[in-house]
Amino acid sequence: MLVACVCLLLAAGTSFAQARRLVLVKVDGLSQDMVERFVRERDPRTGKSLLPWFEHIFYERGTRLENFYVRGMSLSAPSWALLDTGQHAQVKGNVEFDRLTLHSYDYLNFIPFWLGTAGKVRVDMPGPELMDELGIPLLVDSYPYDERHISFQLYQRGTRWTTLERGLKNRFLTRTPRELFDEWLVEFEGRNIVMEQLEREVLEKLKDPRIRYLDFYTTEFDHSTHHNRDRETHLVSLQELDGIIGRIWTTIQQTPQAAETALVVVSDHGTNTDERIYSQGFNLVKLLASRAGGGHHVITKRRLMSDYALKSIYPLVPLITTTTEDSYYLKGQSTAYPTALVDFDGNERASIHLRNSDLNALHILLAELQSKKLSPATTRAATEAFFALIEEHRADWQKLHTNLQEELGALRRLVERERALAAAQPKKWTQADSDAGRDQEARRINARADSWATDERKYTEYAATLSNLLSLRRETFDAARLRIPDIIAKNAMGEQNTIRELQNYTIGLQPGGLTLAPDGSLDREKSFARVNYFALLCETAVRNNVQPGVDSHPVDFVAVRVPAEALFDAHGKEFRADEAVWLYHGEDNQALILARHERGGGLQLRYVPVARLQQRADGTIQYERIPLRAGLPLKIYEDARLSLPSNERREDWLDRWHGDLDWLRALHLTIYSNGLIGLQEQLGRHLTPAMEADVPGLSTDEQLIRRFRHRQRVLVETDLLILANNHWNFDVRGFNPGGNHGSFFRISTHSTLMLAGGERTRIPRALVIREPYDSLSFVPTILALTNQLARPAQEFTPARFDALPARPYPGRIINELFDPNAKPAQASTDTPGANGRTKAEVSP
Amino acid sequence: MKHLFSNAEARRFASIMFALFLLLPGASPSVAAQSLTVPAASDSAPTQLPPPGFRLERTPVAGGAELLTVFGSLDGLRHDKDGDVPLVSILRDTLGDDAPENDRLRYVWMHTYTRPSVKQRAASAVPFLYSRIGNNKRASTDAPPHIIDLAGTEREVWHRVFWNALQTLVFNPYSLTVKATTHAYRRNADDYRKAHIIRALAVLTLYQSESGAGSVFAPHELKEIQARLMLSQKTFGGLIDDLYLGRVYEKQTSQWLDTRGHNWELLRQRAEAEGLYFEPLDLPDGNTTHALLWIARADVEAQRARRFDKRFLNISNPFGDKRLQRWHGYTETRYFDAENRRVTADTPGARAVEMIPLALYGLDHPKIPIMLVDFRDTLNPKTREMSQRVLRDVARATVSLTHLDLPFFLGRAVFDYVADRRGMDVNQPSRLRAYSQLKLLLALDASLDPELRAELAQRLERVSLNPLENDMDAEARLARTQYAALLDYARRPDKGLDAKLARDRRSELTPLVHSRPEQILLRVASVASFGLYAHCEGGAPEKQIATLNAARKLSYHRQFLREVARSSAEVEVQWNIEDVRRSLSYVNEHGARADGKTAEAIGRIFAHTKDEETQRLCLSSLYRINNETAKNTLVRIYRDEAADARWRALSAQYLRQATRESQRISTNDARIIATISVMEGQ
Repeated sequence: MLVACVCLLLAAGTSFAQARRLVLVKVDGLSQDMVERFVRERDPRTGKSLLPWFEHIFYERGTRLENFYVRGMSLSAPSWALLDTGQHAQVKGNVEFDRLTLHSYDYLNFIPFWLGTAGKVRVDMPGPELMDELGIPLLVDSYPYDERHISFQLYQRGTRWTTLERGLKNRFLTRTPRELFDEWLVEFEGRNIVMEQLEREVLEKLKDPRIRYLDFYTTEFDHSTHHNRDRETHLVSLQELDGIIGRIWTTIQQTPQAAETALVVVSDHGTNTDERIYSQGFNLVKLLASRAGGGHHVITKRRLMSDYALKSIYPLVPLITTTTEDSYYLKGQSTAYPTALVDFDGNERASIHLRNSDLNALHILLAELQSKKLSPATTRAATEAFFALIEEHRADWQKLHTNLQEELGALRRLVERERALAAAQPKKWTQADSDAGRDQEARRINARADSWATDERKYTEYAATLSNLLSLRRETFDAARLRIPDIIAKNAMGEQNTIRELQNYTIGLQPGGLTLAPDGSLDREKSFARVNYFALLCETAVRNNVQPGVDSHPVDFVAVRVPAEALFDAHGKEFRADEAVWLYHGEDNQALILARHERGGGLQLRYVPVARLQQRADGTIQYERIPLRAGLPLKIYEDARLSLPSNERREDWLDRWHGDLDWLRALHLTIYSNGLIGLQEQLGRHLTPAMEADVPGLSTDEQLIRRFRHRQRVLVETDLLILANNHWNFDVRGFNPGGNHGSFFRISTHSTLMLAGGERTRIPRALVIREPYDSLSFVPTILALTNQLARPAQEFTPARFDALPARPYPGRIINELFDPNAKPAQASTDTPGANGRTKAEVSP
Repeated sequence: MKHLFSNAEARRFASIMFALFLLLPGASPSVAAQSLTVPAASDSAPTQLPPPGFRLERTPVAGGAELLTVFGSLDGLRHDKDGDVPLVSILRDTLGDDAPENDRLRYVWMHTYTRPSVKQRAASAVPFLYSRIGNNKRASTDAPPHIIDLAGTEREVWHRVFWNALQTLVFNPYSLTVKATTHAYRRNADDYRKAHIIRALAVLTLYQSESGAGSVFAPHELKEIQARLMLSQKTFGGLIDDLYLGRVYEKQTSQWLDTRGHNWELLRQRAEAEGLYFEPLDLPDGNTTHALLWIARADVEAQRARRFDKRFLNISNPFGDKRLQRWHGYTETRYFDAENRRVTADTPGARAVEMIPLALYGLDHPKIPIMLVDFRDTLNPKTREMSQRVLRDVARATVSLTHLDLPFFLGRAVFDYVADRRGMDVNQPSRLRAYSQLKLLLALDASLDPELRAELAQRLERVSLNPLENDMDAEARLARTQYAALLDYARRPDKGLDAKLARDRRSELTPLVHSRPEQILLRVASVASFGLYAHCEGGAPEKQIATLNAARKLSYHRQFLREVARSSAEVEVQWNIEDVRRSLSYVNEHGARADGKTAEAIGRIFAHTKDEETQRLCLSSLYRINNETAKNTLVRIYRDEAADARWRALSAQYLRQATRESQRISTNDARIIATISVMEGQ
């Protein structure tokens, strides 16, 4: 009954909204704190705000959220994915690597996308391609092709070549020679040509009454904060944005649709920048390549020191291999056997895949056996150890092999069907077809088929070597007759490492080589050199600690996904969790984040301080529970801004399960803000219908393909998520002394969401919403604002996804926007210059 | 014309030189001997920088101007303990009143910039003499040379063009000796001036950050001065429209800060990777412009087998270096805590490390931290700095290779690209900026150990390639002398600064009196007479001042209106509408002579405001401005059917009135206006 009432109230509330047209200004890295600060500062020359349009539109005539956060990691590709879909995190980094094939999903690289679209073999950026496969619609999909205008962005569908062409033309033809001369003296920037043209196109399209969705995406502010820490540079960049917003707003006001147009500014994350401090880089690639770090050949998707490399002028950026001279057993084999994959984008975090530790051991043993330098006893022991290792994994690997074979068979059949479908498409398209986007839809079929065919080929190669490995028999084994690449797949990481493996990671042989135990077997402990990556990363310190407020340890903590069933076994019901994340900040300072998924879609979370967590050989996990205290990961206990319900003691409240919303309300002002939720979002698995195989009524092939999609998402999960300490970053492509993001610090996750609109949009004026929200709220709120959200459930399925069940949106609608009691305040009441306070406020 | 080489020989010679440069990057003789200053090991913790101590003095100048002088306390100078040193003076022509609208900034003097001695001049004309030859012992008691005339930057461009033409057409063909000599002289003189412009910029930036809102300069004035100084280093920089000065300042400052941060980080990372110690050196405003690299004495021997990658550091391997093993030069003992933070000796648990300085780098250099001092090899930075000069001088001044010589051009382009891309410290842009800033830093920063500072200063002077340069102590002395001479010049009754000011004002009247072609002819005459002839308008001084007052105020409001027009989608949101009205009112009352750009700006403001009074003032101003653009703007407003009928009617009325008054109207617009009249008549 209560639920029904709430639904009715919600429906009644949102029914006020009549935004028929939506204009989205998507600003990469726009920090709410910085906007707030500059809006409140006065320009001594004009007496106006330093950001007059922000003030005029959103502070006086609109609504702004004071506490809007990234739900997951403060990184562009994952964060825009949440904002563009309203669904839980599927994209876990700007770059993702498939462990078995080393296929890289590079969500930021526009060049291959442009080349692909020019060659008519691709249509979408990698982000939308992935979302299509997972059956997740983008917000833009809720508008028909001919009613939307999309700018260049990460989750871009299609492209417009005319933008570049017209940009160049406009750049030179709309200016007098004198103006061009002056601009040449100031400095001519090519990137501005595109940005100016994108803005011009939005302004032009606003005059077209058919267009109901327009967006404008800019990364200029993000770039400026990465490079510069100084106030003036940030201000200039924000003032340029302010001007753009002003021009868009003014143009909207001149259109007949002004009353029903909503203008929304949203950002994907904040930025950790400080005028007094340079953000310091730490080279994880170098650490991993060093002898102490494991002597890995490391693969990245960004060229190291790209500004100083001649090769970096090649725009397609293939996989970049950093070869090490310190490799224990793979010297000179970096192109065939890289053993670490690093994604450091965003820079306050890095994700690392390491080749499966036991694959390393097998590789080492095989190489030793082939060397013929071993004594017969050692040869025998090494052979036994080799097969013992295979036997330890046989069940899992056999299952993987069988499942892959089944899935690849289904994939082959799917490719054939897609090819047939593509062949049936018209070869020529009319203008009407192009205007409706039908030509792009047809090309998408081809692009999908090509992509799947490549997947099928690569996984088949991996399955073949796995099969060879499994087919080895002790009785007939002769190492000399084997080729290592036939047994140990080249360019593959194998299965993910367990915590135990990461704590005892095999990097090579001990100086003494293979050593026998008294019983004649191989003494694995004495034979293999190992690294505990948790300790290594967190104990690494630098000698040059020259900035006050910057720690000498670049790594704050390491986060990994933990098998929740292992915890359950150890500690019974209290810790029964569906998922768990382990945070390592030293042997004595650790924590577990436990997550339980409720039936209605709710999420319960718990923070458990622990110490000395270890995984046993049997897979179970042991640890010491420790009391809450200062110095634990996320520093919750000691944070003065922790906001608990009244009369609650910190120790009591923090020692219980709470819903994610309760956690958000309690934590959002703390130094790590919603990091606890964000870590679960980042490391948790979020199944979509396209990954759920156990659904009645599906054909076998459909089930297999869904299982395959799920497998692919699991295969990009990294071994380690490494979070940088404050003012540290892991960028090795270049230098970002100005600032960075990617962590769970509030300064990085605190984003911007502001809305304003004409009278019929009913967006409250001068409203400040203090209730914390996260990026999952964005899409359902926008759909509610534009009257596109089916009630009572928050469900929406655009036409092209109608084969899949409706997708409920997990995020809350920002109800304050639709509250008929939220009084439109007088413009002057929210003028910050007066007293810095606002009249119309909604408290949590 | 005599040529030492035939063309073919010259090309071969250039190719050999070029090949040598490619094959021997950074090869430099090493100098093992070190100065024998053995300071007591310092146990001082990092000290807070003393308050920077800049102050500004205003000196009235007869005839209605003032001299604004920034003084700095050069605590870093060993021999200069006589109090503040005058650093930069700026002449502001106020026309004798307090109204800021008619002020004009004119000359900037950097008091360390002096007329060179005869010996220095002679040396600077010697080709391939890349060295200082001593100080200018005595500055002239005449008025000191200014580094820029802020109100006459255009003139400077044409002078530069003229001299380049003269060099190409007269000196170069004359003989190789003349060519090489004049080329060397001009290059050195140009670099000498540039170095002082860089320092003037740094002083003004420091003054700006220290004085904040209390500055006697309006914020836009300081930005304008700095932008003009920045642009003076570009060939055509003096021609830029004033409207862009703000952007120039913002862009350039942002770029420098970006470069600085980038190099700070690059050097720190490289130091960390190679096991060295990194120490940033701050200017008084907290900006880090330079950094020192040190090595722990214990590491020299203990890590002798360590691999050393010299990329970007450009120094030889210090580990196991015999020079360091028997080092008698400067050392310091520093203390670090467990977190590797520098602490005082009495901090519990502090660890003592004896450190040897290895090198000092400038961080404001494009792309790479640029080495200025190598404590083990004095000639190392100098040979790197010379690499570009030698290459260029040989190619241009000696063998007459130009960019039109295709093999040379291609070879040079590839080499430049590779060197730049890889960040090789050979054939890089000059260290001039980093060098000039370091001189200032050493003079201002008293926190450095005096022994270290003295050693740095001594070594730094060896980097200079310019015979016109003076050392730091000499510069402080020269600055005082020159400032005294300037004050004397300002007070001199007849041929002093007020007379020059009056001449300048009469020149300023020229564009108000003469047509564009006449102005060009007068400028050509001035340039062709090497500046001996400068046209000045006659007339009574009072009348001149009244005319200038009106013209400058109009220029001020024109500039403001153009800025408003350019920046705003809706004027009243972004600007104080009262200010906009005030400027429009001025144009409305005194703007008959305003130009087309003013009219265009007013047209844009009209389109982007909803304020009726402002709109009315816009139309009225457009009527007042007597030029074709203004009337064309009115015609467009009249013909815009979307515009309010009242404004269209008012525009029509103004247009008819302008026709009656025979204002300047294009033929086409006149025809349209005639139609209006007919329609109204009907």
